[in-house]
Parts: sequence; structure tokens; C-alpha cells
Amino acid sequence: MRRQLKLRILLAAAAAGILLFTVIFAGVIAPNDPYATNALAIRKAPCAAYPFGTDNLGRCVFSRVLFGGRTTIAATFFLVLLSFLAGTFIGMICGYCGGWADRLLMRIADILLSFPQMVVAIAVAGILNGGMKGAMIALGITMWVSFARLARSHTLSIRQEAYISSAILAGKSGLSIICTHVFPNLLAPLFTNALTQIGTTMIGLSGLSFLGLGVIPPTAEWGSMISEARAYIQIAPWAVIAPSLVTILTIVVFNYLGDLVMEYREAL
Amino acid sequence: MKTDDSREILLRGERLSKRFTDKDRQIDALSEVDVFLRRGEFLGVVGESGSGKSTLLKVISGLLPVDAGEIYCGEERMTGCGAREMGKRLQMIFQDAKSSFDPRFSMVHSILESGRGKRDLAEVRALIDLVGLDSVLLSRKPAALSGGQCQRMAIVRALYNGADILLCDEITSALDVSSQAQIVGILKKLKEQRGLAVLFVSHDIALVRMLCDRVLVMQNGRVVEGGRIANVVDDPQDPYTRQLIESARRQSL
Repeated sequence: MRRQLKLRILLAAAAAGILLFTVIFAGVIAPNDPYATNALAIRKAPCAAYPFGTDNLGRCVFSRVLFGGRTTIAATFFLVLLSFLAGTFIGMICGYCGGWADRLLMRIADILLSFPQMVVAIAVAGILNGGMKGAMIALGITMWVSFARLARSHTLSIRQEAYISSAILAGKSGLSIICTHVFPNLLAPLFTNALTQIGTTMIGLSGLSFLGLGVIPPTAEWGSMISEARAYIQIAPWAVIAPSLVTILTIVVFNYLGDLVMEYREAL
Repeated sequence: MKTDDSREILLRGERLSKRFTDKDRQIDALSEVDVFLRRGEFLGVVGESGSGKSTLLKVISGLLPVDAGEIYCGEERMTGCGAREMGKRLQMIFQDAKSSFDPRFSMVHSILESGRGKRDLAEVRALIDLVGLDSVLLSRKPAALSGGQCQRMAIVRALYNGADILLCDEITSALDVSSQAQIVGILKKLKEQRGLAVLFVSHDIALVRMLCDRVLVMQNGRVVEGGRIANVVDDPQDPYTRQLIESARRQSL
């Protein structure tokens, strides 16, 4: 059972690795310039020169998908990492120190969680007037909360362990205990949470771009590609299908990986 | 059992009180408890669960702030100075031996880390010998050790820290009988060889009788009876003490 689970994790991780590899080496793999327009090859069906066909401006959809993946995945990873760090830090402080700082920060978290995440994101991204940075801030505002809550609850239970009392009696400072005993021991559950957040974040970022609140054209990004090509879906469906499929594929792969890792950790 | 009453008092708690508030209910976990411990003396603290035994240890060690009362180490007033400072004078051994070590670290790492900057591997090895463990175990993590081995490692760590007072919180209750006997043997040896003073919290009166010089009987956060172990066990004055001893006798039958 455990071995089978391990094998599935390896397979999912390999799939995620291949996705990341193709996106990182987009510059080498892409057959065409993703931004070069070609008036002679408008809305061409998939062929050898354009594996996923071309869009309304004659741009290679395959190349745009690869470069768009760069934008989407890089932004997603950066945002997840940032929320992870900020949320974990806040959660650990709340859990370890308690008191008024804990009450204040957790009330803020409650308020943020009381709105649906996407609604907050759309409002904030709208106020910030588009751009990938704005979209990331918009999602980040609520994203740290899940990490903070998780880190806080784990810190609270770690705080009760006898080894923390021992460390205090050994004269270690709060900061040193947080760094050497608390943080490393909650890394595993938080890492699992980070994996499952990748899919959600990707949906969020692509969603905002689809609504025109994310990247600014002509930057390639999956959500905005779907949104642009949607207008002529009956003439050139490939321009919609290609970015949609990779979005779904990527989200499925990362969510599956996150679920498997979580299952594996629970089986421990 | 002889006790030398002229030995210096290492630790003294006067009228220690601690109140917990749980929703609208207030629980007096400790009310005006007096306690003292001489060099080389074993003081047992017995009582049923919730009688305030563990709270007493936490308050004395500074892990919990005291609401009222004073704590002295020798002549020095230590009230409110916190566990980091108290750790220079005393160390604590916990009921759950495994969880008193960070699961990620090897024993030797955890023990050396508790030495306040001191890194003396030879001393650790000597202490490992003293508690009768194999120094091979030092490189292992807590999960790879038995509860009894972990508990002996915890004693090593406390001794390595250099404290001459040990606070033991039900340290044998989670162990099997043979590990229990080993721990008791080690504590006796430490008492003879090192003049260690121990505050021994337990609900096992037979064990306390075997190990301790004096005993305090606690109920609902108060000391109901205290004195030489032989006097208290053989001629209990308080009805609650009598009841405790009776039930302990019945259990051992």
C-alpha cells in the first residue's frame, strides 16, 4: 500500500517535473516567436509549423502556451512561496506568543476568510488596475490566511510538547526555539498545504487574467489567451482548447500531487 | 529512613497559588502550597489526577507564572524569573519521555544542545554510563528508542545541564515494570553519588515510599498532609491520605 502510494507520488512528481521543464526551457522548445504576428497565417489549423495552430493575429499558439506557462507558473510559485513564508511566520508568532497579537491577527484572518476569496481578489485587482503584480497582490491578500491558520494550530500543539519545555529550561530564547524546534516540525504539513494551493492559485491567476484583471496583452498567459480566443472559438477552436487543456492538466497534476502527499503523510 | 535536617534548603516555595479560568469557571489548581527541598533529599508529591501536582512543578520551574507566593533557590528570590532562568538551578523530567526530545534530532544533539553552550562529549558519555545505557544509542533519534531508554536519556540531559534539583513529573507511569525499576535504581544511585535533590510527583504511593524521604499529599490544589514518608504512610492523619493509602494497598493485593 505504502509502496504503491510512493510510486504514484513519484509519477505525479515526474509529470509536474516535465511540465516545469518544458515551461522553463520554453525558449529552446518553442518553434516560433510567441509575439511575432503573421498576417499570412491567421487562424491556421494545427500543422507541422504550428503544432497548436495560430490565433487571430497569426501568432503560434504552441509557443504562446509555452511562454504563457512561464508567466502563469512562475507567478503561481512565487505567490505560493510568498504566502507560505508570510503566513507561516505570522502563524508561528500567533501560536507561540499568544496574547493580543494572536487575537488581533486571527480576527483579521477571520474577516478576510468571511468573503469568498475570488470576490476579494476581483475587487482588489480591479482597484489596482490590472497587471500581474496587481493580480498577485489581490490573491495574496487572502492566501496567507490558510498558511497562518495551519501554522498556528501546529505551533499550538508543538508548543505543548515536552521538548519545548525542555528547551526553555535549557535557556533557549523564544526565537531560537521557533527556528530550531517549531518551524522545522511544521514544515511538512505546510509544504503539503503549499502543494495543494498551487492548483487553486493557478485557477485564481488565470481567472483574473481571463477577466482582464491579470496580465496586460500582448503578454502570453493562459487565462488571457483563452479570453482573447474565445471571441472566434467557432472559427479557430484550437486557440481556446490548447491553453484550456494545459491549464486543466497543470492544475490536475499539482492537485493530484498535493493530495497524494497529504495521503502519504496521513498514512505515516 | 534517616533524614539530615541540617542540610541546606535548595528550593523553597511559599504560599504558592495558581488559578485557572476556564470559561466562567475558576479552578484553584494550587492554593497556598508551601514546599521546600533540601540538598540530597527526595520529596514525594502524591495525589489523584487534578490535585495540582503537575501544576506545582510547572509553577516551581517557571514554565507557568505563579499568581501569588514566593519561590527561593537557596536565599535568592526567584519568583517570576521564568523558566529560562530557573533552568540554571533545576531541570524537569516529563511523563512522556519520547516527546521530551525533538523527533528530528539525535539524542547526542539534543543533549549537547541543552548544555547552555557547553559541548563536552566526554561528560555525556560518562553520564550515559552512569544511567547504564550504551553510547551507541546517542546517535539515534527518539523514535528508535524505547520509552525507558528515552527516559534515561532525559535524566542524562538534565544532569548534563548541571542542575542539582530534578523535578520529576510522573516519570515512571508511562513505563513498563522493568523500565520503572531501572529508573528508580538510577535515581537512588544519583541520590547517593551526587546528592541530587528530587521533587518526585507520582500517584504511586508504593514507589514514593521506596524512594522518598518526605511526602506531601495533595488534594484539590492544597497540601492536606506532609511529613516523613514513614510517618505519613504508616500513620496517616488526614482522611484523604488514609483513603489513598488504603486504595494503594488494595491494588497491590
